[in-house]
Amino acid sequence: MNIVLFKIAILLTFVLFLLPRKHQYYFGLALHLAIIAITSIWIFNVLALSSTLTLPFIPFLGNTLSIIIDPLSAFFMLVINFTVLTGIIYAKGYLQPYYNKKSKAEMGWHFFNFLWLHISMLLVVIVRDGIAFLMIWEVMSLSSFFLVIFETEKKETIKIGINYLIQMHVGIVFLMVAFIVAFVQTNAEFSFDGLSVYFASHNPFWLFILFFVGFGIKAGFIPLHSWLPHAHPAAPSHVSGVMSGVMIKMGIYGILRVLLYIPHDLFNIGLFILIVSLATGLIGISLAIVQKDSKKILAYSSIENIGIIGTGIGLGVIGIAQNLPALAVLGFGGGILHILNHALFKSLLFYSVGSVYKQTHTRNIEQLGGLIKKMPKTALFFLLGVLAISGLPPFNGFISEFLIYSGIFKSLHAASLYTDIVLMCSFVGLAIIGGLAVFCFTKMFSVMFLGTARSSKVEHAAEVGTPMLIPDFLIGFLIIIIGFIPVIFMRLSASVVVLFSADLSAFQQIIPTLNHISLSSGIFIIIVGLVWLLRAWQQKQHIVKQNATWGCGYSGANPALHQYTAASYADNFVQLSSKIVNVKKSFKDFDEAEIFPQNREFITRSSDVFEDNLITRPGNKLLAWLEKIAIFQTGKIQHYLLYALVFLALIFLLTFFNLI
Amino acid sequence: MTYLFIMLYAVTLIYFALSERVKKFVWLLVIQGIILFAIVFFSLNEIELFDFIFILAETILVKSIIVPWFINKVRKRNNLKRTQEVSVPVFYSIIVVVISLVVSFLISNHLESSHIHTRYFTVSFASVLFGIYFIIIHKNIFSHVVGYLIIENGIFLLSLAVGSTMPMMVNLAILLDVLMGVLVLGVFINRIGDTFESTRIDQLSRLKD
Amino acid sequence: MVSLVLILISSLFFVGIIVKVKAKIAARRMPPILQPVYDAIRLFKKGAVYSRTTSVVFKIAPLIYFASALVATLFVPIGSFGAFLSFEGDFVFFAYLMGLGKFMMIVSAMDTGSGFEGMGANRESLYSMLVEPAFFILMGSVALFTNNISFHDLFLNFNVDTNLSYIIGIASIYVLVFITMVENSRMPVDDPKTHLELTMVHEVMVLDNSGFDLALIHVASWLKFSIFGALISNFIIQSSWAVHWQIAAFFGIQVAFSFAVGVLEAFRARNKMEKNPQWILMLSAISVVIFLTVLIITQKIILN
Repeated sequence: MNIVLFKIAILLTFVLFLLPRKHQYYFGLALHLAIIAITSIWIFNVLALSSTLTLPFIPFLGNTLSIIIDPLSAFFMLVINFTVLTGIIYAKGYLQPYYNKKSKAEMGWHFFNFLWLHISMLLVVIVRDGIAFLMIWEVMSLSSFFLVIFETEKKETIKIGINYLIQMHVGIVFLMVAFIVAFVQTNAEFSFDGLSVYFASHNPFWLFILFFVGFGIKAGFIPLHSWLPHAHPAAPSHVSGVMSGVMIKMGIYGILRVLLYIPHDLFNIGLFILIVSLATGLIGISLAIVQKDSKKILAYSSIENIGIIGTGIGLGVIGIAQNLPALAVLGFGGGILHILNHALFKSLLFYSVGSVYKQTHTRNIEQLGGLIKKMPKTALFFLLGVLAISGLPPFNGFISEFLIYSGIFKSLHAASLYTDIVLMCSFVGLAIIGGLAVFCFTKMFSVMFLGTARSSKVEHAAEVGTPMLIPDFLIGFLIIIIGFIPVIFMRLSASVVVLFSADLSAFQQIIPTLNHISLSSGIFIIIVGLVWLLRAWQQKQHIVKQNATWGCGYSGANPALHQYTAASYADNFVQLSSKIVNVKKSFKDFDEAEIFPQNREFITRSSDVFEDNLITRPGNKLLAWLEKIAIFQTGKIQHYLLYALVFLALIFLLTFFNLI
Repeated sequence: MTYLFIMLYAVTLIYFALSERVKKFVWLLVIQGIILFAIVFFSLNEIELFDFIFILAETILVKSIIVPWFINKVRKRNNLKRTQEVSVPVFYSIIVVVISLVVSFLISNHLESSHIHTRYFTVSFASVLFGIYFIIIHKNIFSHVVGYLIIENGIFLLSLAVGSTMPMMVNLAILLDVLMGVLVLGVFINRIGDTFESTRIDQLSRLKD
Repeated sequence: MVSLVLILISSLFFVGIIVKVKAKIAARRMPPILQPVYDAIRLFKKGAVYSRTTSVVFKIAPLIYFASALVATLFVPIGSFGAFLSFEGDFVFFAYLMGLGKFMMIVSAMDTGSGFEGMGANRESLYSMLVEPAFFILMGSVALFTNNISFHDLFLNFNVDTNLSYIIGIASIYVLVFITMVENSRMPVDDPKTHLELTMVHEVMVLDNSGFDLALIHVASWLKFSIFGALISNFIIQSSWAVHWQIAAFFGIQVAFSFAVGVLEAFRARNKMEKNPQWILMLSAISVVIFLTVLIITQKIILN
């Protein structure tokens, strides 16, 4: 019954093009809601009974393609549904200005792709057959590609879109090769389930690396991340929110799915994931600090959060390999909960940044400032998201990081020497990532929303309409709930973790701890409230004045110019990490004779070291080489015929000498 | 008790990475000498008078009095700058010293030979590694002498590690070698300082002709 | 509960002793030991001036800063007196809660739109980021050593009389003292008595706070001192001691610690600003040495 409705919903997506422009959005929303309703029944069934649901879907290559929903799929479906729901609600307000510019077909195409991104992501997590999986993976890449290039009138956007598309295809090649290798070597079925045969009899490491690279490009592990910081800023905000919130997690899903089939030799794999993830986290957040484009900051911070998720998973795998149940359960548990958490706060942040962009038409945070007075609600939601993403209590980001930490600390004693060193490196890494996240997001929040306006672009900003704030309320509610009552969500995470590690006793032990955290957070909030009341009472009896900011005795300062900027905030960190962040400053020094200084410019720019050395530079070399080859392209038909003749002769000769 | 001083020795290496002042190097060498004495003193099973005097002479007298006094004199005579230039930021040097400590502790864990006292090997190997690194990153020939002395301290610890197979005489020979080396280098630096008014090695390469 | 009360009491005179010691060394007349308390009371009785640039963030930040310090106090045990709240991994919560307080102070300093306060905020965020690993490695080492991961159990099982553990005790105290100095923005990292805004870290961040808010910030910084003093005392106080000895030892250690801070501040010059990061990193390096020691003690690294 449900499956039929699901199919009908998929087919109905094509109706979008026939509808008039004003109905397209509501029709799309209705379809999203229908899909969410249908899949939610499955999710609920699977998670409540922690069973696996198998449904026949469509005939495919002579067989029936079934959809298989296990708790892992159900968890991801839940995250997908929620984020897409908030995204489509947000899109209504965000796309308002585009209705006049874009044609009916263009808008229809956008909503169509958004729907298909939703559907393809759902299918990715529930389809097991190899060929079908790769096809849906491709659909997901294509639909997100079309979503990214929504603003087709900008040349830059198209270029970024193509870059994205190419990288996604590199990823899919790796996946295809990985599937084929497993298939050829074992002759089992061409599907995920077939992998178990391969992994049972072969060394899993190298095949896993293939999968890791393929999925890692989607997820954005460094150095495979270079599409992310370009694609997110180019895409409209609801798309970036969904892409960053859930689409990159599809890579994580793939890695988790493959890990499920690996029965042995897990230590090296876990170590590999852990090292890559810690590097991803550290480098990602370091690069986020030096960015000026608000969406680029968020994109790099997504890379960082993928690093945290990967750290949790890597530790979990090491825990399984080393027979440390606490590490396995809490590592996986923290990593998986962080998938949900990151989907929440990252989409919240992207939506808020989108609202700011809509009101100020700039993404350069150096031109913003003082927005909290113009857009108080957006600012407060942004603050909430920023606190959560920095992993601070009492919000949700803290809970997942706490799980990982407690997994590490609990296992220190039982672990062997090398595992201990690895564990030490990982909690140091996590602590540094947490500190850098605080650094990054205090900068971002305060430069965007606090202080005084830095340019005239802020003047006309006003609070966005309620439809654009609804998703913020939804997400903010969940962020707070997870932060204050994490126990509910532990069950969700536990039903997934049980697939990896059957011994859930560590989860039972962590529940009282989490209750204590709830209690402590409650006490904290009560104290804040009480002091607030006390101060309100105290200030009623005394004079409270408003005045200018203390300028250290100098009153001639220009408040907009003499603030701390994003570049100056980042500067002392840049000095420490110059090798990674690669910031270039250009300015003219003062002459000694220059008594009355002229106006000066100070420009900083940064580039991604990995992108430069792995993509841009080899790409340019290749281009230069290809240009040399281009002398063959003379444009004269005689020459081309000559080439054909030479080619024929070559074939003839090679055949003659039995070389081919 | 030995472990306390071994760990203190490790901490002095961290301080070597942290400090940039020449005067501090000298003080750290003094402290290292005292720590070495303490390490040897607490690891002796029974104290024989001759051994005791010998060790006292070697560690306290030579390592923490004569050599530091001498290089301090060299420092004063040549009007060296208070801070020494390094080619790698101190921030990274600290990370390097931590890594070298962890690596050498792990290596000592691997050495399963019964006639090596791995407890001394831990910091001695780290000390040698760090001494080499110290010489590499410093641009001034004076700091190079300090680097050699750090390596020498490491070798002294190494001689404790292989105690049963390495007689005291070898150690004594090394010590004399280094002492002579320091003296020669000191005189050398003095002469260079007089002639060139600089002890930076990048300018010394002109001497090769 | 007892430990909470003890920490609150000791927080009242902690800063007073520091000021007194510094005055004595500088041959000035010593202020009464409760002078900081009188100052705070005076501030509590005053009105406030808020900058026009500031927003609600500025108003809520001192409250959160204060509340974070107060709630952090609840986690700290003293000797055999249990903490008010104790659970596995509470030191992670402790550290992150302090982080929340700092986050809000940084953001509130940026809220004033002053270049000076931005500078202070920026430095504070860098230093607190750098000091975090030191605290975690230290706690991780002790957790590994005692096989417990809550403050209470950790210190209860930390017996200095066992083989070699005194090394950990000494080194931990050394590191913790300096972590305290960084967390409270005191001497080697920041000079609270400097008169130039350009060279301040913490003081410049609270330039625009006044009245009730400023008093809260002061009280929070006493609390922080007292909390870290209590953590240090836990490395020394043994739970096997008689109760009155434990209390006496606690106050003794707090007085000694504040005395030491006063002496350190009186004689030591502040680090150059650019040297601060490497100096703070040194704390983490020493913590790694502690970790290695623990690995030796727990027989993970086997040496002969």
